[in-house]
Amino acid sequence: MPKYTRETLKNLLDGKLPFSEVKVMMSSFKDPERFEMMLEIHQSRVPWPEKILLPLGLHLYIVLKENGDRVVKCDCGYEFGDYRKNWKLNALVYVRDTEEKIAEIYPKLMGPDPRWMEIREYYCPGCSTQLEVESVPPGYPVIFDFKPDIDAFYEKWLGKPVPTVE
Amino acid sequence: MPHKAKILAIDAGGTMTDTFIIDEKGEFIVGKAQTTPHDESIGVANSSRDALKYWGMLPEEAFPTIISGIYSGTAMLNRLLERKGKRLGLIVTAGQEDYLRLERGIQTYLGYSYSDRLHVATHRHNEPLIPRERIRGVRERIDLFGDVIIPLYEDEVFQAVEELLDQEVEGICVNLLYSYRNPIHEVKVREIAEKVMEKKGVQVPLFLASELYPVRRDFPRLNTLLVEAYAAEPSRGQLERVQNKVNELGGRFNIRVMASHGGTIGIDAKKLAPTLVSGPIGGVIGGKYLAEKLGIKNVVCTDIGGTSFDLALITDGEFHIKSTPDIARFILNLPLVQIDSVGAGTGTFVRVNPTSNRIELGPDSAGYRIGVSNEQENLDAPTISDCNLVLGLLNPDFFLGGDIKLNKQRAIEVIDEKIAKPLGLNVYDAASGVVRLFEDSLKNQVVAMVLGKGYAPVNYTLLCYGGGGPLHVGGCTEGLDFEDVIIPTWAAGFSAFGCACADFEYRYDRTVDLPIGGIGQLDPMTVSVLLNAAWAELRQKVISQFEKSGIPEDQIKFRHAVRMQYQGQLNDLEFYTRTGEITKKEELDEIVEEFENLYGRIYARSAKSPELGYLVTTAIVTGTVPVEKPDLPNEPLAGPEPPAEAHKGTREVYWRGNWITADIYDMEKVKPGNVLKGLSIVEAPATTFVVPPDQEACLDQYRIFHLRKKVNKFDIGGI
Repeated sequence: MPKYTRETLKNLLDGKLPFSEVKVMMSSFKDPERFEMMLEIHQSRVPWPEKILLPLGLHLYIVLKENGDRVVKCDCGYEFGDYRKNWKLNALVYVRDTEEKIAEIYPKLMGPDPRWMEIREYYCPGCSTQLEVESVPPGYPVIFDFKPDIDAFYEKWLGKPVPTVE
Repeated sequence: MPHKAKILAIDAGGTMTDTFIIDEKGEFIVGKAQTTPHDESIGVANSSRDALKYWGMLPEEAFPTIISGIYSGTAMLNRLLERKGKRLGLIVTAGQEDYLRLERGIQTYLGYSYSDRLHVATHRHNEPLIPRERIRGVRERIDLFGDVIIPLYEDEVFQAVEELLDQEVEGICVNLLYSYRNPIHEVKVREIAEKVMEKKGVQVPLFLASELYPVRRDFPRLNTLLVEAYAAEPSRGQLERVQNKVNELGGRFNIRVMASHGGTIGIDAKKLAPTLVSGPIGGVIGGKYLAEKLGIKNVVCTDIGGTSFDLALITDGEFHIKSTPDIARFILNLPLVQIDSVGAGTGTFVRVNPTSNRIELGPDSAGYRIGVSNEQENLDAPTISDCNLVLGLLNPDFFLGGDIKLNKQRAIEVIDEKIAKPLGLNVYDAASGVVRLFEDSLKNQVVAMVLGKGYAPVNYTLLCYGGGGPLHVGGCTEGLDFEDVIIPTWAAGFSAFGCACADFEYRYDRTVDLPIGGIGQLDPMTVSVLLNAAWAELRQKVISQFEKSGIPEDQIKFRHAVRMQYQGQLNDLEFYTRTGEITKKEELDEIVEEFENLYGRIYARSAKSPELGYLVTTAIVTGTVPVEKPDLPNEPLAGPEPPAEAHKGTREVYWRGNWITADIYDMEKVKPGNVLKGLSIVEAPATTFVVPPDQEACLDQYRIFHLRKKVNKFDIGGI
């Protein structure tokens, strides 16, 4: 069973591993400690004390609050509310739905036709970091990317109790 | 009695240069020395010196009697892999400039295991041999019929060449669309480039696709052209140095290089890229030679090495040729002896998949290393070799003749912990299961390949070689009715032996695309005239190559071949034709008939589709000049009873659930004519041959073992 050092996983997270090494990792069985170690690395990097239950995106985490709530939190500390509700509804959004707005990021003729497709960019109200981008037909509902079953994941996949407030 | 060296074969690998010298009686010696990449001739000299010390000779004494020398090396391949080739510029048809960055999708996962191929996240683009900044597009267009649709914009060529020369390129490659149909634009580019170079006072070599590789399939053609200019051409200097060293040592023969089509070519060959992929084909050539000598028509060549299992077929005395092989993640337009390779060898790692709780073999392997039983290697996953050791099939004190001592106890412990316990088995059953799984997967490959070619095992003789071949041959052929199963006693060195068996042979291919019947059909005599012309042109190329080696035309044996397909289908088949010049319609009909038969055999008779018409895609000419080949050993036959001194003792072996006492023999002391009854284990320094309980092995006068079912069927023990 493969085993990696914390240093290797940190580099993996930061995209600093050479591809040849990443390829070997991808082709091997998953190291059993990976989730725990990744969680520790994330936890050590955020400035707030709440326990991370599950990373949710490049800057987002589901964390355990003191009162037992599970909320989506940005690494700047901004909280989006209960993880079972789409966090995007509490984020800032910039919609590119005209030729001009699309031309800002795509070379001419290489972006989508705004009559068919619009680009929605979601930003954190706390730190203005771009958190997610979705490309959908105009009028399409806001996509709810991921609603994990945290209890089942901990108990049935990891085989350990889900963290709770003491 | 002093030895008279006759044939020299050199294999310059990445780290070691191996030399194989054969005398007139078929006896051979092997030498090793460090490869010297800056000047390979030094390594070659050292390695031959090392070999010749076994005969108490010096290279200066042995070289003058050598009449044939073959070289193969990995320097070219390494130059390609490490991207340390020439600084080139490239001119393509405008619009094709990003070809190297886009690649063909297949190149992003070539060489991957099946699971990785499905796992798209692992796919990756290759670093282009020429960066985008040194690729120029010029407007022009020739269509698939060879007609000029857009004339060449000559001013753009002037500008492109100037800009490339300003970037200090060391060579310029030209690959325009459909240039194999009509080279007129490429020729014009060359004229212009020469003018520009003259004006600027610089000279760099030019490489035209239409001249070097006039074959269909644009992208592989471009790759081949680039590989030629980038990695192959720079090797010419190395080859010349090796030749000079040989002459210095008193050798009076010309070094030849193994090429992908299965022949050897001179070092002054116009195209050297075919020598890039010569590695694994040695064994197949040896197989062909053996087939000739023993009078066998059909052979399955199986090579079980440390990392892979290579399979090739020889049918009617000919090996099969693949027209777009891949090497170093490039698909190339070169004829390559067709070898199917499976990532399973004796060094393959064995693991239990934690998800499915099943044994998984590889796909990775320990490579040149042995396994956990060799502690210095620091491996943590056991290999097939470890399992063989645990079962008693391998002798821990006689691996590589005892040069390496293996720790059987450690193998037992590791297999127990990592394989047996998770599966709930005892360590011997686990190891035995692994070996059976390994042998079964090899067996499936063999069967699939033979059936896929439209034959049954009973039509073929199975030849087994490679370090691990003799060990597993019994298991891989179990239950398959091969005509015969043969194992040369020199199985471990068979690939090197095979290289020494190669003909001096040039091969040229040209795409012709001549329709017979079907849509756009031509008059049969027009087809014949055009095909004759293509063959004649290729013959001329062969003649001019041999001329460089001072060989006159009348000594060359020409053979003509075509690749042919039904119109609209994608795969063509290659076969030799009886004639190289069609003079009457019946001869063309005969070629069509030959194709129909071959197609029916490979696919199914009912799949024949003559209503579509035919297309002769490629004309091929090979020219061969006979060269000296190694003789097979030929010893007098003794009786079936092996001499007492050959019997080394007995050993307990775990064979499919039972402990059986195996007789251990010393391979070198077994005499021709001897019959060894299973379960026997025949040990030699470089390999171990296992005769399963229900079989027996007979050594013939050429020192080749024949493995067959025990004659007395009531004498089956141990199952």
